[in-house]
Amino acid sequence: MPQGDYIELHQKRHGRRLDYADRKRKREAREVHERSKQARKLLGAKGKRFAKKRYAEKAQMKKTLKMHDESATRNKVDDDVQEGAIPPYLLDRDHTIRAKVLSNTIKQKRKEKVGKWDVPLSKVRPVAEEEMFKVVRSGIHKTKQWKRMVTKATFVGPGFTRKPPKYERFIRPSGLRFTKAHVTHPELKCTFSLDLISVKKNPNGSMYTSLGVMTRGTIIEVNVSELGLVTPAGKVVWGKYAQVTNDPENDGCINAVLLV
Amino acid sequence: MVQYNFKKITVVPPGKDFIDIILSRTQRQTPTVVHKGYAIKRIRQFYMRKVRYTQQNFYEKLSTIIDGFPRLDDIHPFYGDLLHVLYNKDHYKLALGQINTARNIIAKISMDYLRLLKYGDTLYRCKCLKVAALGRMCTVLKRITPSLAYLEQIRQHMARLPSIDPNTRTILICGYPNVGKSSFMNKVTRADVDVQPYAFTTKSLFVGHADYKYLRYQVIDTPGILDRPFEDRNIVEMCSITALAHLRAAVLFFLDISGSCGYTIAQQAALFHSIKSLFMNKPVVIVCNKTDLQPLDGLSEEDMKLVMEMKAEAMKTIPQGGDPNEEGVLLTMSALTDEGVMAVKNAACERLLEQRVDIKMKSKKINECLNRFHVALPKARDNRERPTCIPQAVLEAEAVAAAKEKEKLERDLENENGGAGVYSASIKKHYILANDEWKEDILPEILDGHNVADFLDPDILERCEELEREEGLRLEEEAAQDAFTIDGHDELTEEQHEILGKIRKKKAMLIQEHRMKKSTAESRPIVPRKHDKDRKFTTKRMGRQLSSMGVDPTAAVNRLLSQSRGRKRERSLSRADGDDMEVDGQHSDKKLRTRSWSRFQSRPMEVVVPGEGLRDSAQKKKAIKKSRDSVKKRNKQARRGEADRVIPTLRPKHLFSGKRGIGKTSRR
Repeated sequence: MPQGDYIELHQKRHGRRLDYADRKRKREAREVHERSKQARKLLGAKGKRFAKKRYAEKAQMKKTLKMHDESATRNKVDDDVQEGAIPPYLLDRDHTIRAKVLSNTIKQKRKEKVGKWDVPLSKVRPVAEEEMFKVVRSGIHKTKQWKRMVTKATFVGPGFTRKPPKYERFIRPSGLRFTKAHVTHPELKCTFSLDLISVKKNPNGSMYTSLGVMTRGTIIEVNVSELGLVTPAGKVVWGKYAQVTNDPENDGCINAVLLV
Repeated sequence: MVQYNFKKITVVPPGKDFIDIILSRTQRQTPTVVHKGYAIKRIRQFYMRKVRYTQQNFYEKLSTIIDGFPRLDDIHPFYGDLLHVLYNKDHYKLALGQINTARNIIAKISMDYLRLLKYGDTLYRCKCLKVAALGRMCTVLKRITPSLAYLEQIRQHMARLPSIDPNTRTILICGYPNVGKSSFMNKVTRADVDVQPYAFTTKSLFVGHADYKYLRYQVIDTPGILDRPFEDRNIVEMCSITALAHLRAAVLFFLDISGSCGYTIAQQAALFHSIKSLFMNKPVVIVCNKTDLQPLDGLSEEDMKLVMEMKAEAMKTIPQGGDPNEEGVLLTMSALTDEGVMAVKNAACERLLEQRVDIKMKSKKINECLNRFHVALPKARDNRERPTCIPQAVLEAEAVAAAKEKEKLERDLENENGGAGVYSASIKKHYILANDEWKEDILPEILDGHNVADFLDPDILERCEELEREEGLRLEEEAAQDAFTIDGHDELTEEQHEILGKIRKKKAMLIQEHRMKKSTAESRPIVPRKHDKDRKFTTKRMGRQLSSMGVDPTAAVNRLLSQSRGRKRERSLSRADGDDMEVDGQHSDKKLRTRSWSRFQSRPMEVVVPGEGLRDSAQKKKAIKKSRDSVKKRNKQARRGEADRVIPTLRPKHLFSGKRGIGKTSRR
């Protein structure tokens, strides 16, 4: 017991006060009422926080109670048979269904015709040109309006130099340029911060693709050399496609899902 | 000088609370209202402010944490090592380092998002960016939650460390466990350390203070040390070792010569020799404790030899030129019987002081100190005598004063008349009375069945004189009256007396009537309009009636006219008529009369009227007050009284009904 612990020392020497247990019990009993009073009284952000915390506590309590109940009562064992399960004596029989294989190949072919990838985000909200570009007035009297500024996140290659202002129709502001993306590997369920290589396709139009604009649903190419992925042939893969799943201009970062 | 007070480190809130504090602060301290219709610049600025403010708060809070905790490299090595022993330096540094990184990351996040916010073109986008920015900052903080918890624990522990000053005069008590270190500490200081009959009762450093030669000494009690390799020692032992290694102090090595602690003298001697290196340049005193169980002389020869060896070693710790001083190196004491305790303390203090002075004398700074001392010893200029000069007048005055007889004090009287207990001082002789002979008279308390004190009045003589004077006056008056009646013609018959009585009665009636009248309508005899609906009580009518009764009405009419205001024009005309004199006279007359009618004549309650039996108005006032108080009913049952606080309606309806919920209109 260090020298500063005078309360503990006092308790050790003289014990607790005689009504300690009583007071403690009462305080605990009162706590419920005090909390309910607080719950009624709190307003605004504080009230919100309180309610959230309380809700979590209650949910946890319910779960634990349920768990205790479960241990006490007997449950019937699940007798449902899994789909596709076969008895052991049929296990080594090879019974593929021809028709199925055929239809599969047909499907594959159709798919290839439609597009190359089966992407996680198949539909995107179309982005209007007005939303994408902001008109920049130029000229000595600011009367000319042929310049456009991109208002979305963009990617420009490392060797990019701007055109002379006279010919620069589309301005991609440096504040909105990104070089990294947070890419999730769907099988590994891991996220990596990877370098961007290029913008493969922007679903809103080829012009945006060429400008390197990244919106939700855009396919980007990322540098996966750090992940150490290998092709069936044994080569190290370094570029892979990924699809953007968020609105980068709103979130300040690019989140993408690797297409595997 | 650096003060080692770790109580001032601010509280480190746990991660969750930290976030709540910061975010609610942002919410409270920045504007909260923004609309879509605002100029985009204003919207951007609104959100940028929020982001920047949050970052600043994070920065400030984290900075206070980083600055609050001491840097182990900067503080005194004693504390540096102690903290290392207690909390592990690496862990400590890591935790602080993490906080520092978090601070930097948060700053960077804020910068990034501020840049992005510059390109925000809608309220929605700005808001999204702000949410993202704050969220990322909070995530960073969430990650350092364990470090914060660790630092908070350390802070609480550090605040309870004893405040040891590493540079002051210190006495260190060390030895094997259970040899009586803490008992000695309790004897010498007021530290009140726990003493128990088992080993390792003391688990940390304890500080007490003792005085010796008007100087304050810091006494440090350390946990017991076992004789084992340095690496095997645990935290408790390491505390002692740290103190021994870093504090420049007198070391008291406690030796239990009875062996009741469970260790033999040989074992204790081994410990002494193994930690000998820590005693270098420190005065060491070997204290043989528990002499009540085993006196030092009764030791076996081998043990004695061991003790003497230790003594020899202890004397070597301070390199001294010449003959080493033997006294105060080996001492015996018994904490149980208090024998030799003070001697041990004094010896330790003395040796420490000696050593400290020695060091100081050898140091370079001594010249600066010595420069400050100067004892002036003036040399005689010549052989002439220069005695003090006292003026003759003063000498004479002194002689006169000495010759004068001293005033006899009550004390002298007491001494003359048999001393204390025998002599009783008389108060009566100091009475101031008209005649000195009265002094010794006995004052009766009860006289004729009355308490004399009730009739006591300090200025009774004056009053008596006054009364006599008054009586004299009255007698004179009466004499004058008698003289008047004697030569007057006013001897009344029975009949006349009767008539006089009647007259007086009627007069009294009249006066009463008059008074009654006076109390209404400002004492003016005005007939109210409601009794005079057909306006028949006019002056003219009255005149007519009076003249019909055979009375000359002019005087009465004039009086009435003078009292009624009348019309302005007419009055000015009448004034123009020229009977100024009359008007003037009437006017003054009216003035006098009105005053006499309207002024309410009464005397204030406290004026004393002769015959009431009261001395003066103060007394009367008091009497009135008392009588009022006596009439007042006492609130004996302590029910609600007029002095109690009153809340007219406990639950006013308008505050307790309706649909309005909690909160005020402005705070909803």
